[in-house]
Amino acid sequence: MARSSIQPALSFEQAPPISVPYRFFLTAPLFGAVAGLVLAVLGPETFQSRWSSGALAMTHLIVVDFMLQTMCGSLLQFVAVVAGANIWRPRLVAHIVHPLITAGAIFLASAFLLEQQVLFLVAAAVFITALGLFLAVMAIALLRTPARGMSIYVLRLAVLGLLVTVALGATLALTLGLEEHLQTDWSLLALINVHVAWGLGGWALMLVIGVSYLVVPMFQLTPSYPVWLTRLVPAGLFLVLCLWSLQLVAASAAMRAWQSGVALVGVLLAGLYAATTLWLQSRRRRRQADPTLVFWRGAMVSLIAFALSWIVFEALPQLGGSLSAPLWLGVLAIPGLFISVITGMLYKIMPFLNWLHLQQQGGMVMTAPNMKQMIPESAMRGQMRLHFAALGLLLAAVLWPVLALPAGLAFTASCLWLEWNLIGAARVYARFRDKIRATGGAVESGRS
Amino acid sequence: MPEPRVIDGRDMEPPEPLQRALAELATLACGEELVMLLNCEPLPLYAILDRSGYRYRTVRRADGTNQVHIQSG
Repeated sequence: MARSSIQPALSFEQAPPISVPYRFFLTAPLFGAVAGLVLAVLGPETFQSRWSSGALAMTHLIVVDFMLQTMCGSLLQFVAVVAGANIWRPRLVAHIVHPLITAGAIFLASAFLLEQQVLFLVAAAVFITALGLFLAVMAIALLRTPARGMSIYVLRLAVLGLLVTVALGATLALTLGLEEHLQTDWSLLALINVHVAWGLGGWALMLVIGVSYLVVPMFQLTPSYPVWLTRLVPAGLFLVLCLWSLQLVAASAAMRAWQSGVALVGVLLAGLYAATTLWLQSRRRRRQADPTLVFWRGAMVSLIAFALSWIVFEALPQLGGSLSAPLWLGVLAIPGLFISVITGMLYKIMPFLNWLHLQQQGGMVMTAPNMKQMIPESAMRGQMRLHFAALGLLLAAVLWPVLALPAGLAFTASCLWLEWNLIGAARVYARFRDKIRATGGAVESGRS
Repeated sequence: MPEPRVIDGRDMEPPEPLQRALAELATLACGEELVMLLNCEPLPLYAILDRSGYRYRTVRRADGTNQVHIQSG
């Protein structure tokens, strides 16, 4: 047998047990549902300002317990399968990291809602433990892998972005938890600005970009991303984030003006990436638009809307200076961009993993069910419509906070429907796995 | 020598090429060849072929297509 040189491909040899990613995937939407309930229960005051305790709690429930959960679970799978990297004891890592992230986000959200300083300290300790382990395992795997390509480089940048986010987040939590005791030279606002930029830009967006270089052409049958763009966007974003971080050490008026230019370059790069993705998707070779594709399109439109809104807010300081402006940007970025992409990817990843694991267990003896049988198309489309309706209501609630109740309830319902669809996929997997075992299929130990 | 069976999976979404290959392999006669045309290397298929005793070789064409030739062992 002969093989050509290695290029982007999926290798199943290093894949962790299916329970490793699934525990993260099946927990995440529940906390999205809780975040929606926070908005519904606390009502219009949540959207009075980004600094309201409700807005802070809701944001961290989504970015940590929904986004970070799914992203950690996906990375444990993706790095092994795409980079062929050896993840150190993935089951043990998942057993430790998953419950700690879940608990950490609950402590953090409770700290904001109850304004209890000690809970900030507990959350910081839990996150440092969980994410310290996760980052160490990921960094070693990504540095040791022999695989090359822009996806791998961008994933390394994303992991670095998570490290910076966690370090700054822990500093913030300690500052809030030890208000009278901890003195830094950094202003709290600068610390928050830099933490948010690294979390959303350096970690979450960087990860989406790195993953998209592989999954958009492979699963949506589009042309590949232009090589120049695959280099420019992540390198440019990383440079922008480094320059943006200088506000921690210098806070003059000249610096502030210069920083707004830096941020503008960052949002233009993000907008360029989103526009290119939409352009590639318009040239896909298969014309059907499945829910994953529509979620990706919705996400990219949200990212372009984010970039345009940012430019408008810069051009019109009266508008940009309003309390609603950061909330508007936050809704476009978090439910609009990231939850849309994550949901779309979950609808592709879980059926795909189900199929691959069942195929491996059944071998040539028993054929795995078709991927389209894993989650009913009508259920995915229904949930998708509800998600985008909830997104519209959340944006409307930023402008008219009286809509907080229906917006929160719609987001909760959308997350619960997503959870139901994912549980359905997991049950299909379990049912066929049991069938294969009952017929004496080629089941490999430790895979389920 | 019979004409090889051909699966052009370049416009198929994963795992459809793999699904089709498994269906064809189930009826592949001794000495018959299955040729797959793919945009990427089918590493999961290689693992299945190794376990099931098929012989295969992959040629990378100038246009980037991976041409996988499979025969029963």
